[in-house]
Amino acid sequence: MADRGKRGQEGDIERSPSRIDSVPEERLIRALMNAFPEAITGFLKVRNGLVRARLDRRDLFKACKFLREELGFEHISMISAVEYDDRFEVVYHVTSYKDKLLLELIIRTPKDDPSVDSVSSIWGGANWQEREAYDLMGIKFNGHPNLERILLPRDYQYHPLRKDFRGD
Amino acid sequence: MAEMWINMGPQHPMTHGLWNLRVKVDGETIVDAQPEIGYLHRGIEKLCEGKSYPQIIPLADRLCYGSSLTWSHLYCMAVEDLMRVEVPERAEYIRVLTIEMQRIVSHLMWLAAYAGDLGLAAGFVYTMRDREVFLDLFQSLTGARITYNFPRIGGVAHDLPPNFERDSLRALSYFEGRLKEYEDMFEGSKIFMMRNVDVGILRKEDAINLGVTGPTLRASGVTYDLRKDVPYSVYEEMDFDVATHKDCDCYARYRVRMDEMWESCKIMRQALQKMPKGKWRIVAPRNAPVGTGLARVEDPRGEGVIYVVGDGSERPYRVKIRSPIFVTVSAAPKMLIGYKLADVVAIMGGLDMCIGETDR
Amino acid sequence: MNLFEFCYGIIHWLVDLVNHLWYWLGDLLPWWFGDFFDAVGDFAASQGHLSVMTILLEVVVVVVIALINVLNFLWIFRKFMARMFDFYGPYYVGYRIGGWLQNLADGIKLFVKEIIVPAKADKMGYLLAPVIFVGSSILILATIPFSVDFGVSTNKSGDYVPAGALFALAAFAIAPFSILLAGWASNNKYTLIGGMRSAAQMMSYEIPLLMTVASVFLLAGSFGFVDIVNAQHDMWFGIPLFIGFIVFLVCLAAEVEIIPFDLPEAEAELVEGWTTEYGGMRFGLFYMTTTVRSYAGGALATALFLGGWQGPSLIPDEIWFLIKAYIVFVVFQWMTWSLPRVRVDQILGLGWKRLLPLAIINLMIAVALKSMGWF
Repeated sequence: MADRGKRGQEGDIERSPSRIDSVPEERLIRALMNAFPEAITGFLKVRNGLVRARLDRRDLFKACKFLREELGFEHISMISAVEYDDRFEVVYHVTSYKDKLLLELIIRTPKDDPSVDSVSSIWGGANWQEREAYDLMGIKFNGHPNLERILLPRDYQYHPLRKDFRGD
Repeated sequence: MAEMWINMGPQHPMTHGLWNLRVKVDGETIVDAQPEIGYLHRGIEKLCEGKSYPQIIPLADRLCYGSSLTWSHLYCMAVEDLMRVEVPERAEYIRVLTIEMQRIVSHLMWLAAYAGDLGLAAGFVYTMRDREVFLDLFQSLTGARITYNFPRIGGVAHDLPPNFERDSLRALSYFEGRLKEYEDMFEGSKIFMMRNVDVGILRKEDAINLGVTGPTLRASGVTYDLRKDVPYSVYEEMDFDVATHKDCDCYARYRVRMDEMWESCKIMRQALQKMPKGKWRIVAPRNAPVGTGLARVEDPRGEGVIYVVGDGSERPYRVKIRSPIFVTVSAAPKMLIGYKLADVVAIMGGLDMCIGETDR
Repeated sequence: MNLFEFCYGIIHWLVDLVNHLWYWLGDLLPWWFGDFFDAVGDFAASQGHLSVMTILLEVVVVVVIALINVLNFLWIFRKFMARMFDFYGPYYVGYRIGGWLQNLADGIKLFVKEIIVPAKADKMGYLLAPVIFVGSSILILATIPFSVDFGVSTNKSGDYVPAGALFALAAFAIAPFSILLAGWASNNKYTLIGGMRSAAQMMSYEIPLLMTVASVFLLAGSFGFVDIVNAQHDMWFGIPLFIGFIVFLVCLAAEVEIIPFDLPEAEAELVEGWTTEYGGMRFGLFYMTTTVRSYAGGALATALFLGGWQGPSLIPDEIWFLIKAYIVFVVFQWMTWSLPRVRVDQILGLGWKRLLPLAIINLMIAVALKSMGWF
């Protein structure tokens, strides 16, 4: 509660000299930096227990497999899809029960090709969340076993959460 | 008899909400199951983009009307994370007090529906009657019984009314006596145990893999409770245990929820005792900075998360809500296949479904 | 004076009264009509006609008494449930008599509802099932007497049907056919499942039921109700055959389909079970008939195990019989509102694996008692 206001700047961790990796957040960041040096960038320890990073979308499947199997991130909390003016962002929040950490992975996709690989074979809980992101925002997940609309009717034409959908 | 698909829902007395469960039965045994949701989709995430931050609080209440205070608090916490607003301590204690009271109310409603579905009509009526005690407390506090519109960004709407502490302590001691009676009534009934033990088993690995959270996960043996492991608000100051159980069946889920009610009583007493004096609200800024805010909360049904993206104006750019039941229902086929048609009631009832948060 | 003589007296008086008028009218009319009137009057006063009319009046009396008792049962059902749940129950309709008229009001409501037959339902089965169900259930009451003098199947000299109890139990067992027919003919998957569950449950609970009744027949030495009740003048059969009594009550609860055995009409899962597609008064008839069956079951339990109409003669025998039947009913209601529902395969397991051996043990106890000469 006391350190909620204290936030770091992006790139803080990378710029700082070698520190003793006693805190689980920093252990995580070192492990990811060593395994995926170019793919994962922009680490930021947002607060205790929450680490944010950017991930290149081509390495999404490998990185998630690494997270699940090597680092023990067993649970995917949320898959969100956000639309900006020039890009789509898919945000993965992955939890580790052991270390009690939450990792926020932000993936950018170009506006004309909003597709990423599906991680539902790694985490079964991602299945319906990806369907919802497809349904409401129109993000395609390659390799998803059953990419169908889930909340809206099967034959609905539009993706309502997009900014150009006016509802009339 | 040949296998046939049966639709349980969308209009059905048992299903607690508007969703459809298609089961394929071979005689009386379930062979396959497909839940279908989306009948109650109200487009809340899109609606949030057109409203200013304080206007969304009543909307967040209506996400899960069974435990509405949790969701509006969660939303306020996410926006406070975005706006980097620090909430005064008295407000945090009031929040914890009301969230735990809401947890008791939600679990009592679950128990009422569960008992009623299993045929124990007396269980339904008695638990609903005891829920009234807490609803009266809520009414004296907020003016409403189900959707309260109580939290604000930066605190809570107003202070506790006079005599609230005395009334709450009275309600708690009454309730603890009744909770003991309920345990005797349910666990002393051989039929109840027959319907629940060894029914709907969900192994630990399956539960973790399928993203199940909340009492269902804790009933499969995983000791993970966001209040203890990732403490938010003032839960670090509270002394309580995490309720788990090692059988992964319906009886374990029932037992976990009963234990959670006991723990909530403990937390409520501590919150009342430790509550400091002071302000209960600070006024938050009107516009949010550009950035994101994230908050997680242990909802009575699981892990709830809200992710808010701000763009500098008085309206959010994107609000994403994670509902625990959304993911748990996708795990339902795993729990249903191989059991009898009459077990659907016990299994789906044990998940405590609230369709408001599933469909948003 | 038994019921037959009572009704005979009424009919005789009525026929005399009407014949007075009739003959006088016949005297007024000219030649051919007068003869005709005389012939009809003679026919009306003949013995055969009087007997038939007496029997019809007896049936009407017994059915009316049964239906009034059913109304009472329904009232007790709702009030008892309400008091167990800490609320009032029927309150306003019939305010001064505790809400007793509520059931009449509900019956009138069901009468004026629209009766819909589903388009794809099998018409013959759909229309026939309620007829069989209601008919067979009221048939049970045909041989059960309230006392030695008050029974519809006793004749003028007080002879009674020698196989009365057997007949009543046979009529009890016709209902599963009609339930299966209703469930199947409604063209609805839910009702089909409900009907099948019901048929399985009823069939598997018939056997322990009949075995316990067989032990009663053994001790009494006869199949007729009056003999059975008279054989209990020393000690009610419920006391030495205590196991049998409990088994009988459990099997009766399963036959009548009350919670904990009401999975076929489990509201939480199958909406209304096998009566889902029936509306209006058809549904009302089904509902009333389940209460008639529990009334008949209570009457059977009383006659077979609780000494029938025997009791101190401060109160007439018929009232004793009714009091005991009501007590059995109230015990059933107590059980209903305290227990959850048992799953159908657990019900069948209970019937075959637990009750059947107990019924056999009970039969052996009865054999031992009989051969020791105690009854």
